[in-house]
Amino acid sequence: MTMPFAAAVVSGSILLGTSLLYATLGELVGERAGIVNLGLEGIMLIGAATGFAATFVTGNPYLGIAVAALAGIAANMIFAYIVIGRGANQLAAGLTLMFLGFGASALIGKPYAGAIINGLPQYGGFDTLVWLGAPLAAMLWWLLFRTRWGLALRAVGEDPAAAFAAGKSPSALQYQALAIAGFLGAIGGAHLSVAYALSWDEGMTAGRGFIAIALVIFAKWNPLWAVAGALVFGGADALQLQFQARGADLSPFIMNMIPYLLTLAVLLAWGWNRRSAAPAALGRNFFGVE
Amino acid sequence: MTKLRLLLGACLLLFAALPAQAANTLTVGAIYVGNVNDYGYNQSMHDGLAAMRAALPGVTLLEAENVPETAESERVMEGMIQQGARLIFATSFGHQQFAFNLAKKHPDVYFEHAGGWMQAPNFGNFFGATQAAWYPMGVAAGLMTKSKTLGFVAGVPIGYVVGNINAFALGARSVNPEVQVRVVVTGGWSDKAKEAAATNALIDQGADVVTMHVDSPATVIRVAESHGVYSIGFQSLAAKALAPKGWITGLGFTWGPFMTATAKSVMTGTFKPAMVREGLGQGMLAIAPFGPAVPQTVQAQVKAAADKIASGFNPFTGPIVDNTGVVRIKAGEALGPDKMGNFDWYVAAVIGKVK
Repeated sequence: MTMPFAAAVVSGSILLGTSLLYATLGELVGERAGIVNLGLEGIMLIGAATGFAATFVTGNPYLGIAVAALAGIAANMIFAYIVIGRGANQLAAGLTLMFLGFGASALIGKPYAGAIINGLPQYGGFDTLVWLGAPLAAMLWWLLFRTRWGLALRAVGEDPAAAFAAGKSPSALQYQALAIAGFLGAIGGAHLSVAYALSWDEGMTAGRGFIAIALVIFAKWNPLWAVAGALVFGGADALQLQFQARGADLSPFIMNMIPYLLTLAVLLAWGWNRRSAAPAALGRNFFGVE
Repeated sequence: MTKLRLLLGACLLLFAALPAQAANTLTVGAIYVGNVNDYGYNQSMHDGLAAMRAALPGVTLLEAENVPETAESERVMEGMIQQGARLIFATSFGHQQFAFNLAKKHPDVYFEHAGGWMQAPNFGNFFGATQAAWYPMGVAAGLMTKSKTLGFVAGVPIGYVVGNINAFALGARSVNPEVQVRVVVTGGWSDKAKEAAATNALIDQGADVVTMHVDSPATVIRVAESHGVYSIGFQSLAAKALAPKGWITGLGFTWGPFMTATAKSVMTGTFKPAMVREGLGQGMLAIAPFGPAVPQTVQAQVKAAADKIASGFNPFTGPIVDNTGVVRIKAGEALGPDKMGNFDWYVAAVIGKVK
């Protein structure tokens, strides 16, 4: 029953990378519309808690994921209103959302801690969300780069005043982008609790929301690159755990450093490419045209 | 006159009642580092205190979950003392210094800390002697495995954890000389995604029995169950519920008798600080019920091994060779209970490195 090493690493990377992929894609869409959301970690936690609770209550993991996605949209709409509707600073509002997510998810999940759920069904060793991950990235790429809606959304992220002058509503597009971001971020969190760990704990995302924000930069705001990024970062942990399980002649302390060493290596390699792909108006609020 | 007599009578009654009242009631505070529904360490502590309260009707229990191992824990315990707590159970290792600070500040409040070493007239500590108790778990795993590969998910490879893994491996080898134990270290006591990944990695490498030493066994057992792999639990006896099919058995803490005795000693003013360590058959550890897949013959062998440990058998009796071929315990020598935290090597059956 021993799986070949390479196959085990690849399957481990895909499994660990999936929640990162959904979260990264969500953040990416928001940033394409010019909005940085540092609250992604909080959105993922809300998704993990509501998804787990709803799966337990309904007995249906798909319903659990759906409830998580709706909760993610709702939470991100709070952030959207503060930032778009009231013009608050994006970084401050994002951090606030993160702390709100910590608290809200602890409150929601508390009565269900220790509940026993049956997770998402698996097909060929992978659950449905894994199978949908890459096609979703391709679809988002098509939406962003091959549709008029995507063009308008990216225009808002580059120069909202120009988009406004061209007859687009920057705020409407940003609301839409953040709804997608909340939807996907929460699914990313729910994947951890409902499909992967089959259990819930406070703060169980353990910083993966911030890794996803870094992955957006790594992916150069391109959904297809996000697939590669999620695989590489998921793969770093999968690789070191597989090394340990095989009994590699290396200290476990060094092996637990591998993901961070790899991150450094990737940043070094990436650093040479100075051409920035960041949306020009990223992080700046649009207050209309005088 | 009648009124005065009544008043006097009432006063007398009150005075007569007061000492009796004081001896029968006690407010006990408990802080947990995690959630008490974790099927693990925190649940075992919570269950112990619930047993204490059931045994002593006069006890009021104040509990706080998810108390971090920081100065925050000192504030939580101080709050409990303000609410009248006279006995505090600080149940996580990192709560030790903060509980000790309060013990100095409140000499009339008694403290029991889990797993530490500090002592004061009003400060004692307690823990289970787990290492030898893992031996019968190894016997169970060694008899149930078909692939001769066992998986162990470890949080942090401190000496006590390494000792648990070693005794597990020695037990497995005692019934199955070709068995191997693969170890994966996650680097933390509670990172569910990594625990799931570690379990997957062990199963990928052929493990058909997995066990763990992390705060909550829930993730490892649920992931093993979803792959149709056997599991052995640790920390709370309640973990059996997590694996209706693949559960073999488990090792769980039973703190109730000790906590009850401690509360009684505070009520009667006979509290004595001590460093209490109890193993199988001594009160603080028990073997969980077996799962449906475990044959009677296996159950009998596991019980026999547990009885052997309870009657004083030390699995760390030489000759014992580590997994690089070096003799670590010579023939005729044995490692005593005070050496259980010193392991920095794995026995021959274990695949892995400690450092």
